[in-house]
Amino acid sequence: MSRRRQILLLAAVGLIAAASGFGMHWWRLSGASSGAEAVMRLRLPDLAGQEQAMSQWHGRVLIVNFWATWCAPCREEIPAFVKLQAKYGARGAQFVGIAIDQRDKVADFAREFGINYPVLLAGIDMVEVTRQAGNRVGALPYTLVFDREGRIVASELGKAKETELEQRLRSLL
Amino acid sequence: MLLSMRYAVTLVLVLASAAGAAEPQLLEPEQAFRLSARIARHDALEVRYQIAPGYYMYRDKFRFAVEPAELRLGTAQLPPGKRKVDKFFGDVEVYRDEVRILVPLESGASVPRLVLAAVSQGCADVGVCYVPQEQKVELKFAAYDPQAGSPFVAAVAERTGASPFIDSPGTAARGEDDRVAELFRGGFWLMIASFFGFGLLLSFTPCVLPMVPVLSGVIAGRGGHLTKTHGFLLSLAYVLGMALTYAAAGVAAGLSGAVFAAALQSPWVLGAFAALFVALALAMFGFYELQLPVALQSRLADTTNRLHGGHFMGVFSMGILSALILGPCMAAPLAGALLYISQTRDVVLGGTALFAMALGMGVPLLVVGASAGALLPKVGPWMETVKRFFGVVLLGVAIYIVSPLIPVSVQMVAWGVLLVITAMYLRALDPLPHGAHGFERFSKGVGVVALLAGAAYLIGALAGSRDVLQPLSALRMGARAVEAAPVAFQRVDDLAALKEAVRAARGTPVMLDFYADWCVTCKEMERYTFSDPAVRARLDRLVTLQADVTRGTQAHGALLRRFRLFGPPGIVFFDRDGREIDGVRVIGFQSAERFAAVLDRVLAAQ
Repeated sequence: MSRRRQILLLAAVGLIAAASGFGMHWWRLSGASSGAEAVMRLRLPDLAGQEQAMSQWHGRVLIVNFWATWCAPCREEIPAFVKLQAKYGARGAQFVGIAIDQRDKVADFAREFGINYPVLLAGIDMVEVTRQAGNRVGALPYTLVFDREGRIVASELGKAKETELEQRLRSLL
Repeated sequence: MLLSMRYAVTLVLVLASAAGAAEPQLLEPEQAFRLSARIARHDALEVRYQIAPGYYMYRDKFRFAVEPAELRLGTAQLPPGKRKVDKFFGDVEVYRDEVRILVPLESGASVPRLVLAAVSQGCADVGVCYVPQEQKVELKFAAYDPQAGSPFVAAVAERTGASPFIDSPGTAARGEDDRVAELFRGGFWLMIASFFGFGLLLSFTPCVLPMVPVLSGVIAGRGGHLTKTHGFLLSLAYVLGMALTYAAAGVAAGLSGAVFAAALQSPWVLGAFAALFVALALAMFGFYELQLPVALQSRLADTTNRLHGGHFMGVFSMGILSALILGPCMAAPLAGALLYISQTRDVVLGGTALFAMALGMGVPLLVVGASAGALLPKVGPWMETVKRFFGVVLLGVAIYIVSPLIPVSVQMVAWGVLLVITAMYLRALDPLPHGAHGFERFSKGVGVVALLAGAAYLIGALAGSRDVLQPLSALRMGARAVEAAPVAFQRVDDLAALKEAVRAARGTPVMLDFYADWCVTCKEMERYTFSDPAVRARLDRLVTLQADVTRGTQAHGALLRRFRLFGPPGIVFFDRDGREIDGVRVIGFQSAERFAAVLDRVLAAQ
């Protein structure tokens, strides 16, 4: 292979790599924005059976937590959410829990832990929505932070770190 | 100096990858918990989960069910697990690494095969849990040996929702097994078979068939003394290589569809797609040539030639590369196939369909390999006809795509025009030359049929018939009482609502109608068909659901995808147990008579 050919080949490989990288980036970005829309468009029943539209919280700094009572790590982080909701709710922060679970269990848990924010119920299809919003393997807990414009600014798979979350809330409020 | 540079680069790379790995690298649930099962004894199944390191499963979250219904499972014998102290649940038992569970088969009905559905739930040590998942394994008694049992069979990769531990919103907990999850199937194998057929036809186009003997020679290499088996195996290696590349393209198309997920269905998207198909069709008619740049093609061909024939690996890589050389006959149909796949947004279907298509394309090569060329049709101008056939198919797809947007009468005119023009290309009205070949006679015959059918469409459309499948129905006499109250549809907007509605309807068959405001065909269906008294009488015995997908939300997309529908109009039916009834789907417009017949079949289904 001549030197010129080698350079050409390398350039071609580089171009393809760059293009696919850019494509991937674009794909992931577009996934995130359509994921945000998918979450914002949801209408789900709350514990009282009343249907709630996610869009009603548009304009607040929204923290959406996908969880379930059968998921131990999910239960562990709830007290921190309750605390942060009490502390920053008045300044425009809004936590919303979406439980992929059975109504009775969620209701008991919410009472026991004094959940002070809306908890909505979802079926197993919700996992697909979280996948669209960047939850690659569809595991729980999964937490999304939306800014006041309804864009996803942070996502966390697994237990959310309280201090990190608090800092982020402060910067967004 | 140079060496230290190299270390520096390596260090940077390692650091970069470490930074990228900040988020836990988690496995998909079906990889973290790998299910396989076997028939261990004539009266027991053995279920095995291989659990990835760092993952665990809960002992109390396993549920098993079996099909067909004659079989029943006994209580699963779960081995003791490891104690895990949980802050909230107290002591729980979990499994790690591997667990084997014996599940007795209680009733001894003799069936050739059974499908085990296993629900399980597990978590990862990094602090996340997976939603309960259902996996399925198909076991055949033919593989059972009384001494050793049958070997383990892996679960089929499909992501079905299982929900014994989860409510559909708004319902009380129910522990029974959920059949709804597995009723969304059908059409898959038909699709695969059609792609195989198209592949076979594509191999009879002028840029493929003449190359087959040449290619066969290249594959065999310069060995010369080749047995038929060896020749066949070499060809097979080549075809498999080619099929692999195509499958990758199919998977990519399936994935790329996700990008359009938000746009989903709208008149604009449908119109643009149809226009693309028309453009591709024109390429097949020779208005222009669509192919990879010649320079790139010859470069690829060079690389291919440098590989050695006669060796399996060499031939296999040849196959992989040669799939990239797209000649003028291949590019347009392939683009059409990929477009179609991207619309279904189904990665599995995309990969399998394109794989099947490549296998179809490889059939002549395999035949040549096995028969040393004796069984191949003669090269000739008839191959141009095959090429144009694809043009007609692509145009047909274009009409099909826009059919929801245009009135049935316009659809009928479009089909009529397409058929008549096809007939002209097939020389339906030209006289046959003396001593015409068999193929010329055959093609003229097809042309005449197309001409008659096309004329029927045009006449039917003008006579006021509104049924694509019965274009001349208006010529029959018959008065019809119109005016009835509109059908009272129960609205469903997502899969959860559908599941719930189907469950609530248990004991009554269910009809699910996909509708959109922009769907002209849907409105015609309401006006001409649903209003018919005979149809109404039957509809009243069904639970009627309607999904209005005008807004095209993600949930709507998921609904359409579950039923592998392009978009409205589409009607699917469920039997009294909530399973979809195969073979009675209604896609597109149907007259009252035909639709009533479909409803009769639905009502008769057990």
